[in-house]
Formats: sequence, structure tokens, C-alpha cells
Amino acid sequence: MVVALQFLTGGLYLLASLAAGAGFTLARPALLRTAVGVLAAGAIAHGLSFTLLHAHEPTPPLTHLPSALSFMAWVGTVGFLLLAWRARLAGLVALVAPVSCLGVAAAVFSNPATSDVRADVTGAGSLPHAHVLLASAGLALLGLAGLAGLSFLLEHHRLKRKRRLAGAASWPSLEALDRAGAFAVAAGFPLLTLGVAAGSLWERSVTGAFFSGNPHETFSLLAWAIYGVLATVRFGARQPAARCALSSIAGFAFLGIAMLGVEWLA
Amino acid sequence: VKLLLVGMNHRTAPLDLRERLAVDEPGPVLRKLVACDEVDEAVLLSTCNRVEVVVLTREIDSARLRLRSLFRRELAPDGAGVTEADLEGCLYEYQNSDAMRHVLRVAASLDSMVVGEPQILGQAKDAYRAAVECGAAGAILGRLFQHAFATAKRVRNETRIAERPVSVARVAVELAAQIFESFAEKRALLVGAGEMIELALRALREAGLEAIAVANRTAERASRLAVQFGATAHGLDELPALLGEADVVLTSIGGSEPWLTRPVAERALRTRHGRPMFVIDIGVPRNADPAIDALDDVYRYDLDDLGAIANENAEERRREQARAEVIVEAEQQRFDGWFAALRAVPTIRQLRARVESIRTGELEKVLPRLGLDDAGRDAVDALTRAIVNKILHAPLARLREEAEREEGIAHLETTRLLFALDQADPDAAGSEGGGESEPT
Repeated sequence: MVVALQFLTGGLYLLASLAAGAGFTLARPALLRTAVGVLAAGAIAHGLSFTLLHAHEPTPPLTHLPSALSFMAWVGTVGFLLLAWRARLAGLVALVAPVSCLGVAAAVFSNPATSDVRADVTGAGSLPHAHVLLASAGLALLGLAGLAGLSFLLEHHRLKRKRRLAGAASWPSLEALDRAGAFAVAAGFPLLTLGVAAGSLWERSVTGAFFSGNPHETFSLLAWAIYGVLATVRFGARQPAARCALSSIAGFAFLGIAMLGVEWLA
Repeated sequence: VKLLLVGMNHRTAPLDLRERLAVDEPGPVLRKLVACDEVDEAVLLSTCNRVEVVVLTREIDSARLRLRSLFRRELAPDGAGVTEADLEGCLYEYQNSDAMRHVLRVAASLDSMVVGEPQILGQAKDAYRAAVECGAAGAILGRLFQHAFATAKRVRNETRIAERPVSVARVAVELAAQIFESFAEKRALLVGAGEMIELALRALREAGLEAIAVANRTAERASRLAVQFGATAHGLDELPALLGEADVVLTSIGGSEPWLTRPVAERALRTRHGRPMFVIDIGVPRNADPAIDALDDVYRYDLDDLGAIANENAEERRREQARAEVIVEAEQQRFDGWFAALRAVPTIRQLRARVESIRTGELEKVLPRLGLDDAGRDAVDALTRAIVNKILHAPLARLREEAEREEGIAHLETTRLLFALDQADPDAAGSEGGGESEPT
């Protein structure tokens, strides 16, 4: 059932990606709104798949990377839908839907429901679960901030170069993208902080030390510190929106490399 | 019946003539028009760019004279007539298919001064509504106008003819909407008080911008604009302070050097805490130094930039117009078919009446002899009616189809001949046939 729901989710996200791509290329706002609707349907199926996955006994802790990616895709999608509900951001679906689709594809093709993922978390209680949930949610929202930042920079440079674009009218305004980025950072960074803290506690429960110095921990801590500086500068120093967008992209890229790249390479 | 359209528009008549013939209240004109024998239905469309009357008539020559007389004598207020020389070359005339096509093109905004502008559809709907209210528009013009409105909707949905703005002012508003989420809480600063500024301001105002400050060298002109748009008037010495609060800056003021230089903009940005500023420079020579483009939070567009976008959009509209014309042509042919089929209506009506009179006549003769009760009579009546309907169904449908084609008129004439529909005394033929049907 979980696998069937994941396939359904992947299909709906793919459909949303295609509708969004067509809507943007053909400059059809109605298609973009349809894509948002399909993405919302996908998010419901996605949420249901996680609910069923957690009904398994014992509960898979999501430390399996594809599961974590799928969870990030879900949090990112829900975050986007909430933002799009409050502001004129439907055009951003053209970036969010394909990324969510990739996140789900990772889980679909690795089948987390049947993967042996419990070996490295025995004896750690709920800390691994809390670490992955919080860090993934934080990472997803910071990823959303990165996508909003990327979108902002593309639009900013187009407006600066005074280029006309057929689909520009259906693309979110710079102001909406900047606000979406700010909201995503404001919500994502505290979650990431809690995730890092839970990770340290997990490490202590296993090794007796908060920090063991492995590449994942080192890069995660470094990335968290960099993001902390960027968030402080963004909200404290009120730098120009274009620089905020650039810092969102750069911060997320480093965070992604730290938390996923190192894991993958290992 | 025939359709006749007589009118003038921005291409054929000068503004002063169109102004003299513009009609605010079409009711009295239309009532007078349909009171004439030669006009069955009429609709009058009067906008700043056109005055047109479309009528349904059985006598096209008389109707043409009547409409020309309308333009010459009756449309101008207070009897201030227009001479034949005034109208020479200004009036156009379309009949039947051409008139239908014209109405469809007008409603779809293909005949407008700015192709694709949305107002004309609303004006056409108002004109039709006024004609219905005064009883001048009937079933046929009603069908034509409903078809025109549906065609306009199709053109709007299936082409991009109305998507992109083509005026400098509208382009500026569209660009502002790509920077700001909403104009509701934004502040605009106008520097200058010329016509271009006013046009751009009007467009921004329509888009929802409310807080406006006007700064000008001459306080009087600034005050005039301020009163008109509910803004505040200022002198140029207040510019630095005003600039710090302005999200949209519209500037068109004389002077050999740009007043909005990079240092001035940098000072203003320092008080804005990263909020973007959209500068619309429509001054010649330019009022804003292009060097401010290097500042992250400033988006500057001058007249050339806006004009280039407007031209690209206009080019796109021209490309879309070709697609729209194909839609209009197809819809005109559909309506033409329906309109042509109206030719069959009198023949079909007469044929039905003839057959019905034969049926009822024969029933009256036969039923008393059969000695049936009421239920039996009703059954026989229903039976004969069903037989007649079934026999007539296929030929009548075919007649309607044939009437849509010019060559199909021969079928109508043959039908009239075969059933003696033009005979003065149809009973003669009926009694002959009736004799043969007498029961033996």
C-alpha cells in the first residue's frame, strides 16, 4: 500500500511538473493553477504514505537517505502550498514540482518500507527519528528558500537586462519571492538547529560524546554555522533582496553538500 | 431578410465628425428606426471610435437610404445636421456575410484602434442590451450578437491577442507588477506633471496604487494633478526626502542633466532597508542616470526600454491577429449557415400548414363515420399526426440544410411548386387530392 501511494505521489508530482512546465512555456496561468492543485493532491497522497509507513512496527526511522529525501520533498511541497495559499506564488510550482518529484522518485525506487534501516539506530531511542525529521524538515524549507532565491535572481537579472519574457506575468513578483524566501529561512533554520541538536544527543547516546568528528558531523556543523551567519545578516542587517537570494542559494548548496553529499560519498 | 450595417470608425472618419454623431442614449433613435416599415430589427453601437447601425431588413435599398438619412439628419444632437459632403468617404456599408463578419470582428476587438483592447466587448454588450430594452433587437440580431460575444470569448481564450500591453503606461504597470506583490501599500512619487506622467499615473491608479506624491517646478500644475488623483503636491526641493519613501518613481521633467543620479539614489536606498524601487523615466532627455542600474534594489526603465517592450508586444498581437481572423472567419461561416437557413422558414411553415390542413380536413370527414368515442378519436388524431410528422421530418431537415447553400434555393422553389404553396386557392388542390382519398 505504501509503495502504491508513493507511486501515486510520484505520478501526481510528475503531472504537476508537466502542467507547470506547459503553463510557464505557454504563459497560461490557468495551467499553473492546475499544477498547484495536482501538486496538492500529490502532497495528500504523500502524507498518507508517511502515515502508513509509520504504522509499521517497528517504525522505520527515516535514516535511510531516500526516505529522508522523500520526507524533505513532502515538507518542501507542503511549505510551498502554504506560501502559495497566502501569496501570488503559483508560478514557483514550475521549480518546486520537479524537485519534489525527484525526492519521491528516490523513495519509490529504493522502497523504504522493506529496506533494512534499523541496524545503525538500535539503542538510541527516538533521537534518530527526531534528528532526521527535524533536520530534513529544516533542510526542506531551506531548500525552498534556495528555490525562491534562484527564481528571484533569474527574474532580477531579467528585469535588470530589460528582457521581455512571455510567461513573466504569471511568474511570482520579486517581492513575493523575497518574502517566501524570508519565511522559509525563518522557519527552516530553527528546525535545522533542533535537528543538529538532536543529532548531537544521538551521537552522545551511542559514543558518549556530542561530537565525534566524522565528515557528516563536521560538515553539518560548519554548514549550520554558515547558515546561522547568513540568517543573522538577512534579518539583522537588511541586505538587498538580490544578495539575500544569493545567500539562500549558496547556503543551501553548502548545506546540501554537507548533509547529503558527504553521506552519499561515504 | 437581409442584414445591413452602415457606420463609420476611427479609420474612415475624423474625430470631430465622430464626436458630432456620437449617441449617448440609443433608445429613441432605435425606436424611431424600427417604427419604419423597412427595418425589422436594429442595434446601434456608439463609442469614441465608431458609430455603427446594424439592421435586419426586407427592403435593402430603402433601408440603406433610411440609414444614410439617419446619419445625415438624426444622429447629430439639436438638429445640427451633417452634410452629404461631411459623410463623403466616411461611411462604410456591409451586407449579409460581410455585415456579420464586421460585427464579429468588432466584438472580438480586431477592428479596434488598439487591437485586442477589452473595452469594446463591454460596449457592444451595452449596445445590444439597450436595443433589447427598447424592443429594437429581436431573435435574429439577438442571435447575431450572442454569436459575436461567444466569438470574442473564443478569440480571447484561444489567442494571446489581449495578453500583452501595448501602451507605454500599461507596460510600466505590468513591469511594476513583476516587482511588487501588490500596489495597495506602495507609494508613488511623480516628478513632473505632463501628459505622459498623467497617463502612467492613471494606469497605476487603476492597478490599485493609492499613496501618491507629486513634485513639480510649478506648484500650480502639481496641485492640479494632486487634486485630480487625491495626491499631495510638493516642490522639487523635497525630492530627496520623498525619494526615500517612494516604491514607484515616475519622472518626466525638463533639464539637461539627470536629477536622479547614483549618489541621490544611494542616499534614498539607505533609508529603504532593502526595499526595491521601480524608476519609470519617461523624460527626454533622461531624468535618471543609467548608472543607477548598478544598484541592486533599483529597476530603471526609460522611454526606449518601455517602447521596445510595447513594440514587441504589439508585434505579438499582430501575429495573434492572424489566428484570431481565422476563428472569426469560421464563426462567421457558422452564423452564415444559420442565417441562410432562415430562407427555408417561410416554405417550411407553409408546407406544414398545408399538410396540417389536409390532415384535419380529412379527419373531419372520416371521424363522424367511424363512430368512435373520445379516446378513439384522440388515438386516430395522434396516429395521423405522427404519420405526417414522420413523413415530413426528413424532407424538412433536408430543406433546412439545402437552404444554407446558395444552390439549395432551387430545392425550396421545387418544393413550393410541388406542393402549390404559392397558389392563391390551395383548397382547389386539396379537394382534388381529398377526392382521391375518399374511402370506397
